[in-house]
Amino acid sequence: MKKKLAIFLICIAFIIIYILQANFFTWFTIAGIKPNLFVIFIVFLGLFGGKYIGIISGVIVGLLLDIFIGKNVGISAIMLGAVAIMARFLNKNFSKDSKLTIILVIILTTITYELGSYIINAFIFSYEISIWNFIRIVSIETLYNVILTIIIYPFMQRVGFSLEDMYKENKILTRYF
Amino acid sequence: MYKKKKTGAVGVGITIVILILLVFLSNTNIERLSYIENAFSTLIMPIQNGITTIKNKIAGNSTFFTDINNLKAENEELKEKNSNLEQSLRELESIKAENETLKEAMNLTEKYGEYKTVSGYVINKDISNYSSVLVINVGSKDGVEPNMTVIADKGLVGHVISVTDDTSKVQTIIDSASAVSCTISASEDSIIVKGVLDSTYLKATYIPTNANLVPNDSVETSGLGGIYPKGIHIGTIKEVVNTKNITDRYAEIEPAVDFSKLATVLVITN
Repeated sequence: MKKKLAIFLICIAFIIIYILQANFFTWFTIAGIKPNLFVIFIVFLGLFGGKYIGIISGVIVGLLLDIFIGKNVGISAIMLGAVAIMARFLNKNFSKDSKLTIILVIILTTITYELGSYIINAFIFSYEISIWNFIRIVSIETLYNVILTIIIYPFMQRVGFSLEDMYKENKILTRYF
Repeated sequence: MYKKKKTGAVGVGITIVILILLVFLSNTNIERLSYIENAFSTLIMPIQNGITTIKNKIAGNSTFFTDINNLKAENEELKEKNSNLEQSLRELESIKAENETLKEAMNLTEKYGEYKTVSGYVINKDISNYSSVLVINVGSKDGVEPNMTVIADKGLVGHVISVTDDTSKVQTIIDSASAVSCTISASEDSIIVKGVLDSTYLKATYIPTNANLVPNDSVETSGLGGIYPKGIHIGTIKEVVNTKNITDRYAEIEPAVDFSKLATVLVITN
């Protein structure tokens, strides 16, 4: 029952994040660059969710984004899945109380996501590659994501621990040291 | 070791199945998946529409706190201007009527008069920094189909890539995946105009070696390629960048449409 509630809450969170990203953050930008809330969301689910929650929701969220606003189906799905796998892999290897590590995780995942999507897109649609513009956009976007994460991490942590309790797993020792 | 062998194998199996599914999905045409999009947009559309309306209302109220005396003086001034304008409007209308009869006589039509259009609002802009796709609030119920051309009052916006009952997805010309066959109005040289990541300008490539490009020349669609009709204004040449090899040179084109403020568009339906 609790698990069903958690899945329902994840769906609601997705809709809220979608509306924020598509409305509020299209004008609340740093030098015209939007943050990527979905990467933060999937990293959060990968870190705190159950075994496959992060990966499954990463792929589903990516597919929905592709269908609703993308030019092709599958690219965001693959990259958000990859982000979730990275977060899942890091789940057991660091303390979730340390802000520095979470910042590093966000930097790593944001860059991976954007670089991966850009390369796949560039191959499929034969983009005019402009490396400097890409680097500029990625660095500002990563910075923005980091700032947002620092602001909302205490909240994320609280919700995350209750989510973690719902999906009781054997080893959640990292929480305690 | 907290990983059991068995669950590891299951995980690998699931990953492979998902990847195969994704490969199939990414090769299917996005138009065929529009029923999923339909369901999703039915969920999001009312909220999206509401937020857009509120945003437009707030944007229109910026003069709320202006000094009332200023307003009174301005009102008088405007009334006077208005009566003057009304008079000139009447004069112009008679000239317009005369002009139309003359045009008819010469068998000319207005610039976009030959196209049937459906007007729509932009209800959603792209969520990523790397592409520029819009969602507009007209769909197959209004007669919109994929590959139809979308224009705004000042020029070309892009083309429709998929439709649902009430919404359509538009790939704009500033999107990195977009390439439009164009001609320079003055010299009739044909070029390809592509979108780049920095969405403040468009990049014109494949410029003929003997072509003479001058800044401020107007660029319009050539009608080749089958999507865009001929003669729709795209923008003006901002700068010609010469490289060592003349075949590599390119030009920066300033789009006529301001995509950051784009709110109303027209879809050409015939």
